[in-house]
Amino acid sequence: MSAVVGGSIYVPRADVPVAELPALLLPAYGETVVMVGIVMAIVLVVGTPLGVLLHNAAPGGLFERPALHAVLGWIISVGRSLPFLILMASIVPFTRFLTGTNIGIAAAVVPMSLAGIAFFTRIVENALRSVPPSIVRVARASGGSNLQIMRSAQFGEAVPAVLGGLTIQVIAMIEYSAIAGTIGAGGIGYVAVTYGYQRFDNTVMLATILILVATVAFVQVAGDRLVRWVTPQKRLQRA
Amino acid sequence: MISLNELTKTYGRGADSVTVLDRLNFEVGAGEIFAVTGPSGAGKSTLAQCINLLERPTSGSVVVNGEDLSSLPEKRLRAARRRIGTVFQSASLLSRRTASENIALPLEYLGVTPGEIRARVGELIDRVGLGPKAHSYPFQLSGGQAQRVGIARALALRPAILLADEATSGLDPDTTSSVVELLKQLRTDLDLTVVFITHEMDTVRQIADSVARLERGRIVETGALVDLLTDHGSPLGRALQPRLRFAAADDDAATWYVTYDSADVPGDWIQRVSVDLAVPVHLLGASVETVHGINTGSATLGIAAASDDAVRAVLAKYGLSGTPDASRETGVGGAPVSPVRSGAVPALEGAA
Repeated sequence: MSAVVGGSIYVPRADVPVAELPALLLPAYGETVVMVGIVMAIVLVVGTPLGVLLHNAAPGGLFERPALHAVLGWIISVGRSLPFLILMASIVPFTRFLTGTNIGIAAAVVPMSLAGIAFFTRIVENALRSVPPSIVRVARASGGSNLQIMRSAQFGEAVPAVLGGLTIQVIAMIEYSAIAGTIGAGGIGYVAVTYGYQRFDNTVMLATILILVATVAFVQVAGDRLVRWVTPQKRLQRA
Repeated sequence: MISLNELTKTYGRGADSVTVLDRLNFEVGAGEIFAVTGPSGAGKSTLAQCINLLERPTSGSVVVNGEDLSSLPEKRLRAARRRIGTVFQSASLLSRRTASENIALPLEYLGVTPGEIRARVGELIDRVGLGPKAHSYPFQLSGGQAQRVGIARALALRPAILLADEATSGLDPDTTSSVVELLKQLRTDLDLTVVFITHEMDTVRQIADSVARLERGRIVETGALVDLLTDHGSPLGRALQPRLRFAAADDDAATWYVTYDSADVPGDWIQRVSVDLAVPVHLLGASVETVHGINTGSATLGIAAASDDAVRAVLAKYGLSGTPDASRETGVGGAPVSPVRSGAVPALEGAA
């Protein structure tokens, strides 16, 4: 597993001197950001409508389709129940079919997106469920179409909950990207595994840990801010 | 004008089916406020959802201005809903929209241009007296203010029918009164047909022209409010009377429960009854109020040493109906109203 992914990682012979850490870590960090970014874009585009569909196909939803709801729910639950490492390994043929490779960022994006979509669909469904049914009744009585009701009443009211869930999702995807690093996906996780774990390079290990902790903390703070911003009561009542 | 014809709503099929509404018929004219009251589980909320077309009746119809709306196909049903404005319990406002944006919701759904929305919302905000609160969020509004937003939103599309579904439930008495006054004002100004669904009898007395009582899915009694309040034989009329605690009569006096039984009870009737009977009459408890210009209410009296028939005759002379009433002390028996609500002060407002 010493193959250099994307040709961008600098490989020294002994422990990496501190001065050379940025040259090693920055490109890897960039890869992590790209990987998580691509995955999140796919997850948002696919997972959001899927969550809305799941919620409204359920009994009590805007267009009840019990059979569709059961099938969809079951597929998502299967996706969610596999540990990510296993999911990643088990869909290698599918990944190879889609991307033509089973290493690298492109290959990591496929299993990460699948796991992420399943995760985010549940987050959206859960957020919509917290919108009081009376709000949906109001929207229906106001003459809204299903699409209008989903957008303004259901999703509009659930935005803070969805963004809170999105924060959790981004952090989970950073973690998944690190796991994907073990199959040579590149990124910070790959550096942590190859240098920190396989070569016992404590400097690199510590540096990757610090970077990951800082990243996760930043995402969480940004997410909390965002939730605050979209919740009028929290935005206007500064405690 | 709205009329319900043999409206029936059944959930489930076959042996397990439950009939929630059973062949309801009523008609409410323009400018009229019709209250539907009844205990929990009587079918009030199902009725509300059939009237505003969120639920389709199993059989029967909801007819608005001569058009049967309940049998329209799904697509036209959505447009038909716009002809009926609904004021929901505790307003149910979208929490991330300001008062104005909440009122604009039905207009946005209809596809009205932003300029027209602004004009119409401004008009509605003024009409419900919320000008300064136009840009407040729901959490910044009191219960009464939120309900005013709910009313403005219900009126946004100029409906002919206004349905109030427990619109004042959960509001304090003063706020309820102000919301009731607003609804009455709007009814007059806009010639609205108002169907007011509530379990609060006090509110019904304040607002309704006519009342129907719904019990186990059926209308068991209906009539004009004044008629019901002055008809002591009517269970609904009795239920509409405020419930009072009254003082005990003197040892030598009998307790009489007296209801206003006609539209022309003289204001000084207690005085007159006392003079006619030539005995003192003690007022132990009373609630009298003016409904549509007519005094209605009930009083509990302590009257000493007179034959029951004489008392009855004198009371009848003044348009009152009296029952000697030992059983009322314990709150059981054939008493029209049992004194259950503690702390209620006998109100004499409106008593001449």
